[in-house]
Amino acid sequence: MNLTAQNTAIILDSTSDWPEAAERFPNMRVVPLYVRFGDEMFRDHVDLSPHEFYERLRHVTELPSTSQPTPQDFIDAYTAFAAYERIYVLTVSAKLSGTFQSALLAAEEDGGDRVRVVDTATASMAMAMLALAIQRRLEQGTTDDEIDALVDRFRRDNRVVFTVDTLECLQKGGRIGKAQALAGTILNVKPILSVEDGVIVPIARVRGRQKALQEFGRLFMEGTENRPGLHVSIAHADAPEWVDVLTDLVEKARPQAQIDVVATLGAVVGTHAGPGAVGFFWLQD
Amino acid sequence: MAELQIERARELARASLANLEANRRRIDDLNVYPVPDGDTGTNLTLTVRAVVEALEKSSAGGQAAVAKELSRAALMGARGNSGVIFSQIVRGFADVLAEHEEIDAAVLSQAFRSASDAAYRAVRRPVEGTMLTVVREMAEEGEKPDVLALPKTEFLRRVVARGEEAVARTPELLAVLKDAGVVDAGGAGLLEITRGLAASAAGEAVPEPVADQPTVGFDAIHLEESRYRYCTVFVVEGEGLDAEELERELEQLGDSLLVVGDASALKIHVHTDDPGAALGLGTRVGAIEGIEIANMQRQAAEREERLEASAAATLDLPTLETGVVVVAAGAGNRRLFESYGATRVIEGGQSMNPSTADIVAAIEATPATEVIVLPNNGNVILSAEQAIGLASKPARVVASRSQQAGLAAMARYVASISADENEAAMTAALADVATGEVVRASRTVELDGIDVRAGAWLGLVDEVAVAAGDDFDEVATAVVERVLGGYRELLTLLTGTEEPDLDVLLARVRSAHPLAEIETHAGGQPHYPLLVFAE
Repeated sequence: MNLTAQNTAIILDSTSDWPEAAERFPNMRVVPLYVRFGDEMFRDHVDLSPHEFYERLRHVTELPSTSQPTPQDFIDAYTAFAAYERIYVLTVSAKLSGTFQSALLAAEEDGGDRVRVVDTATASMAMAMLALAIQRRLEQGTTDDEIDALVDRFRRDNRVVFTVDTLECLQKGGRIGKAQALAGTILNVKPILSVEDGVIVPIARVRGRQKALQEFGRLFMEGTENRPGLHVSIAHADAPEWVDVLTDLVEKARPQAQIDVVATLGAVVGTHAGPGAVGFFWLQD
Repeated sequence: MAELQIERARELARASLANLEANRRRIDDLNVYPVPDGDTGTNLTLTVRAVVEALEKSSAGGQAAVAKELSRAALMGARGNSGVIFSQIVRGFADVLAEHEEIDAAVLSQAFRSASDAAYRAVRRPVEGTMLTVVREMAEEGEKPDVLALPKTEFLRRVVARGEEAVARTPELLAVLKDAGVVDAGGAGLLEITRGLAASAAGEAVPEPVADQPTVGFDAIHLEESRYRYCTVFVVEGEGLDAEELERELEQLGDSLLVVGDASALKIHVHTDDPGAALGLGTRVGAIEGIEIANMQRQAAEREERLEASAAATLDLPTLETGVVVVAAGAGNRRLFESYGATRVIEGGQSMNPSTADIVAAIEATPATEVIVLPNNGNVILSAEQAIGLASKPARVVASRSQQAGLAAMARYVASISADENEAAMTAALADVATGEVVRASRTVELDGIDVRAGAWLGLVDEVAVAAGDDFDEVATAVVERVLGGYRELLTLLTGTEEPDLDVLLARVRSAHPLAEIETHAGGQPHYPLLVFAE
């Protein structure tokens, strides 16, 4: 089957932090996860914008919690795309969330083999970048085999580096080993983390924001070449001051790179990463 | 015959120790650095004492066995740079003795040569005007035809005389000694050891050990954090003792385990809540003696606090990819290292150098595939390098020369990545960091072109004097300006047991460097009222 943007849809979950996907592309849709403050439940990016989330976070003592979409949420999304012959569902790493399970259960309900659920084994902007890479192919006309190959290559080659102000949120949310979170709470250290095989792993540690930026730069320079097809995205949790610096770095060091998305981390990812988190993503396509 | 050899060796070693102890304070006072340095006299004394203790407990038969025991005891007991170099001198010496049943001037001549060669091999960049020069000149004296022809006691007398000349000449070879108006402490220590040996060989009296000196041997061995109550040390004597088996059994009882020795005598050091059970394991295989048990929980509250912070990190963890052993001075600095995830912390540093055995034990006790050792003191680097060679698991040294450099390196540590990656990041941190310290000068001296008066404040940056004077704030400001160097932005200050008032300093730095991030911690290190580093 020849897959095109007319017969193939892409569904993302909201941890992709790319709510404008549906506005930009009629064949895309975002299924929200949930964030809960006490008794109040919000749909990520729908009922609660990132801005509102960080504002709320400043005034609460208890950290919010998050939960995956229900299978019904995915069934609704599949139904909304009834006219499409093929649906690719891109979910956050199955090792970080049950979203993949919900999407898969919903796909069984949908019946047939119209829906293909992909565990992206990563999170946030990286998922948006995969969606854009698939979309570029759909616009040319592509096949399932080509998309499978792209997904395999994406899992191998996409790189995420991020840093957080405190590991406390990742620890409380159970997204990183306890031991890793304990270390370095007295002095001003910034862990440099990555996502490998679907899990969050520390790859370096530095002191101070300046050194963290340098480390991002070093990892980016080591991992990329200045050639067409290099895609970059930047995400931050209420830390916009990093965006200009990283954008500047990319434009100076890799002028041929294309910056796909620059966005604020939404409530769900923000709950786990905490304010001050910054993520830097790249993919050579 | 065997009985005679070991007894003779004991006498000679005791005489060397006695003569060294009699001179220990004088040698400690020879510190060329106007701050309390590595306490060469103390380090050498501890090293020689380890040799004497090993021989006291040894029942080695035959020259070769005695010689082997000597080498091992010196190596395991080695403390500080001088101790490590001395342990190599002992090894070189013992290697030659091992091959001869009869000792005459010719054998001694070879032994001094072998000792000198071993000492030079032990250091990467041999510096003349030190212990190395003294041992080499003694070896050269022993190779002169007229000296070779002398009877043993005369031979040794000539070697000692030449050693005296060599020590006296050390200031001509090493400018720092000349500037301070002293001779080299390590060389002086080696001379006293040899003098004791020669006197005993000639049947002359050696000085009695000075009575009022504290017994350092035992306290010093137990430098390491433990969750157990009792530090237990004893010696088991017997036949066909199996060190590994005993080690396995003792492991069940506690930590900080050290089992050293041979099939006839093992020295055991263990931290346990059940010293009786440990001793019981000893009596099952042999006779025990030299029992020392100390309750380590005198500072229980402080330790509890530390444990709380590091318990989960050090106790319930699966094996780490990379572990780190650090040598830390001061409770505050120790906590900083622990908060960074240091797997084992050995207390020590300036004027309290851990022994090679302490470092080996810490490496062994680290639950990691590979271990990085941060010596955090110029005088501990050699011991650390010796220790990684002796440890049974892969280990490497990242040669941090100060607490501050060690912290900068430690900040880069990630337990779950390889030792190669950690080493690269830590080495990069050492290259980046600038370190400084503010101390009280212990003597009047001209240092790096700066006039320093005893009792005044002295500021050093990367171990070079940059300022001196009576005004702490002036000296400290000069140090901080140098470490910031116009481009570094993250400044960390560590106050010592003597806590200077930093208000004026901090106000000045903040106004001159509005963008700098400044952190202040109570490091609690002795000797250094202020340590600083900038990245």
